Amino acid sequence: MMKSKFIFSLVVALFAALLSPLAAQAGDLVVDQRFVDKKEIAVTFAGPVDKAVAGNAANYRVFEEADPDIFLELAKATVADDGKSVVLTFASPLNAVKTHVVEVKGLGGADKTVFSVSKSYLGYLFGILISALLINNFVFTKYLGLCVFFGTSKKKSTAKGMGVVFTIVMVVSALMSWFFFNFILTPYNLNFLQIVVFIGLVSLTVQAVDTILRKVNPILFNSFGVYLVLVIANCVIIAVPLILANNNYNVFETFMLALGAGGGFLLALYLMSSVSERLQLAKIPPTFKGLPIAFIVAGQFAMAFLGFSGLQLF
Amino acid sequence: MANDKTPMQLIARGVLSENPIFRLALSMCPAVGISTTVMNGIMLGIAVLFVQVFSSVTISIFKNLIHPRIRIPTYTLTIATWVTVIDLVLAAYLPEAYAKMGIFVKLIVAFAIITMRLEMFACKEGVKDSFWDGLGMGIGFMVGMMVIGMVRELLGSGAILGYDVLGFKPLLFFILPSAGFFVVGLMMAFFNWIELYYKRSKGVQ
Amino acid sequence: MKNIITIVIRLTVSCLLAATVMGICFIFTSGAKKHNEHVQEQRVMYELLGFKAGAEIPSSMALHEVYRYVVTAGGKQTIAYVVPQGGGKEGSLFVSINLDGTMAAQKELPLSEAQALDAKARLAAVTAAAEPGATVIFADQTIVVTKDGKRIAYILGGKFQGFKTFVNVMLAVDPAFTILGLDVLEHEEDPGLGAEIDQDYFKNQFKGKPFEALKNIDVLKAPIPDDYLQALNGKVGEEDVQKFREQYKDKAVYALTGATISTRAVADGVKGIVTKFAYRINVLDKILKEQQLTVSF
Repeated sequence: MMKSKFIFSLVVALFAALLSPLAAQAGDLVVDQRFVDKKEIAVTFAGPVDKAVAGNAANYRVFEEADPDIFLELAKATVADDGKSVVLTFASPLNAVKTHVVEVKGLGGADKTVFSVSKSYLGYLFGILISALLINNFVFTKYLGLCVFFGTSKKKSTAKGMGVVFTIVMVVSALMSWFFFNFILTPYNLNFLQIVVFIGLVSLTVQAVDTILRKVNPILFNSFGVYLVLVIANCVIIAVPLILANNNYNVFETFMLALGAGGGFLLALYLMSSVSERLQLAKIPPTFKGLPIAFIVAGQFAMAFLGFSGLQLF
Repeated sequence: MANDKTPMQLIARGVLSENPIFRLALSMCPAVGISTTVMNGIMLGIAVLFVQVFSSVTISIFKNLIHPRIRIPTYTLTIATWVTVIDLVLAAYLPEAYAKMGIFVKLIVAFAIITMRLEMFACKEGVKDSFWDGLGMGIGFMVGMMVIGMVRELLGSGAILGYDVLGFKPLLFFILPSAGFFVVGLMMAFFNWIELYYKRSKGVQ
Repeated sequence: MKNIITIVIRLTVSCLLAATVMGICFIFTSGAKKHNEHVQEQRVMYELLGFKAGAEIPSSMALHEVYRYVVTAGGKQTIAYVVPQGGGKEGSLFVSINLDGTMAAQKELPLSEAQALDAKARLAAVTAAAEPGATVIFADQTIVVTKDGKRIAYILGGKFQGFKTFVNVMLAVDPAFTILGLDVLEHEEDPGLGAEIDQDYFKNQFKGKPFEALKNIDVLKAPIPDDYLQALNGKVGEEDVQKFREQYKDKAVYALTGATISTRAVADGVKGIVTKFAYRINVLDKILKEQQLTVSF
């Protein structure tokens, strides 16, 4: 039951990601449909349609996919001069997060044309990435991974190495955790073992990356290997699986979240190390030397990142 | 290596000279993240205290049975077990407090301070001393969280433990998420200042 | 080699020990967790209805659960309700309604009110009652509160997008859909800003808002007047609170400082929940009346 649901969602996600420009069409009549303004949906047709039919608001039935019994009140339907597109204006603002279903009566000779309007899935995935990277930056807005953050942000080169190693370990361990969570923990009702399983997987990934890197690219290992040990004792790395378990993300969303979280950590480290290099030249009161001033700087970054909160791109 | 400190000294060391938050600067994430009220500090402090004491005691009991090559995985497993236990207990009996602490209870598993105490102390010393050392570190963490929470709650919402003390809100800024960094930074500077002042006055004498 | 074997054995033993500790703890706490969640839910519900913790609940009051499902079969969708049967009969009724508000089908389900609480058993019963091959999706549940057989309130739940993530609320409305109370169960808004939505002075602004005012609810970006704030915090007598409620009942909701978007999200979310419910319960009542079905509320 659970399994089939996840496979289904995976298939849907694949389709949506690959075919998003082609999917959700009703016959060949409707070419494009999208939310325009808060209250508007724009529909483009393949060819000119009957203006009297398309322009009559009474011919439309629009509802949110989850609430098929509640029809949204349509204020007017405006057909473009060439008859190839129509703009539906609603009485109250639409909730663009949800998929809307539009039914049109008598369009192009058909009895009923049904199509759904939703935000592009790729845009949604990208939104998760941006959210983990900037809006919910793990260091500056979730306050995770601070020990390593303050420990390794003295020099730019260290910061870059640490950030890259982190991102790799994070993506690999998050994907493995997703797999374990969905196919072992949830079906067998073992969710209380989350912590043990996730920390085990992280250690495993670190060990694996360590061994592989040592064999495959010893030069890279010499420059990055030292950071690997630091990865285990870090809360960012364990927070990603916990968050994805809370949100029921699918595999693409998990990948994006892990990538964004790792990228966000890299970004934070890089910003902080740039400032730290400058701070070494500055005259700092003796009581503030070292960690205190680093905290104050981080606080200022955090305030700057607060400005991203509520940002909506797609 | 025998330990020659009394229980009281062990506790005092955890709270003062080796305070996990202000002196060792470990486990900073919760100190910044959820220290907006004193109550949050106490709750997470109790959770950490529990995990620290139980892990220390467990490791110290089994110290002769742990193979040196799998030391770190064993520590991780021990900590993860006790974190799971406290996580389940809190979720079942104190759901409201648990909801406020969110993900941080589960994140205790990645706190550097606990692993460090196991490696530095519990794997060498006896059960009783490990207990007192764990207790000291846990209390030190709790006190640190409470102090930060007190500053933020008092300045941010003019209250302590939810009781209105000042009657007005001096600086809403302090309860905002990013202020945690400032409060911790300023307090560390304050402790440094005391230390410097102390040293200087000694030097003059 | 010998080394590896000892390592494996010791690691296995420690894993087994850890598993035993966690397993025992899980077994002991899972029951308590469920129980406490239930108690908590009941407490929130009664508080919304105006019964503070410890207050005596009149025995003439009863709660009836109504469950809603969306049934899709062969490209056609219907809304199915599971309602407890009235007239002294045990068991539940399955009422399925077409999208345009006309009757589709009805059946008796062999589920008592207590059995219907179990989500799995209920879903199985609904799937059996629906057309073969239909997909049944659980939508929501509503509680109808009756006193001496008369409806006195509905308790609704809902989840909507806040400023950061979801906001989960529970609210009580009277039969004319005037809001009796609002409680924020879950949210992840910023502390000090959007997180104030779970404070009394914010939630109480919704108390007493009539349906007509709620339909056109607006958010006002201004500080709350001092005397009104006192009333919202419950620092004045009950009579004064009523007076203020009367005075502000048709007015806009005051936005939280620095959290206008959170405020608007809650206002719009509450409006959405109540308007949708009002439409649905009217349709359901009409159908029940037309078909002369007796239910327990």
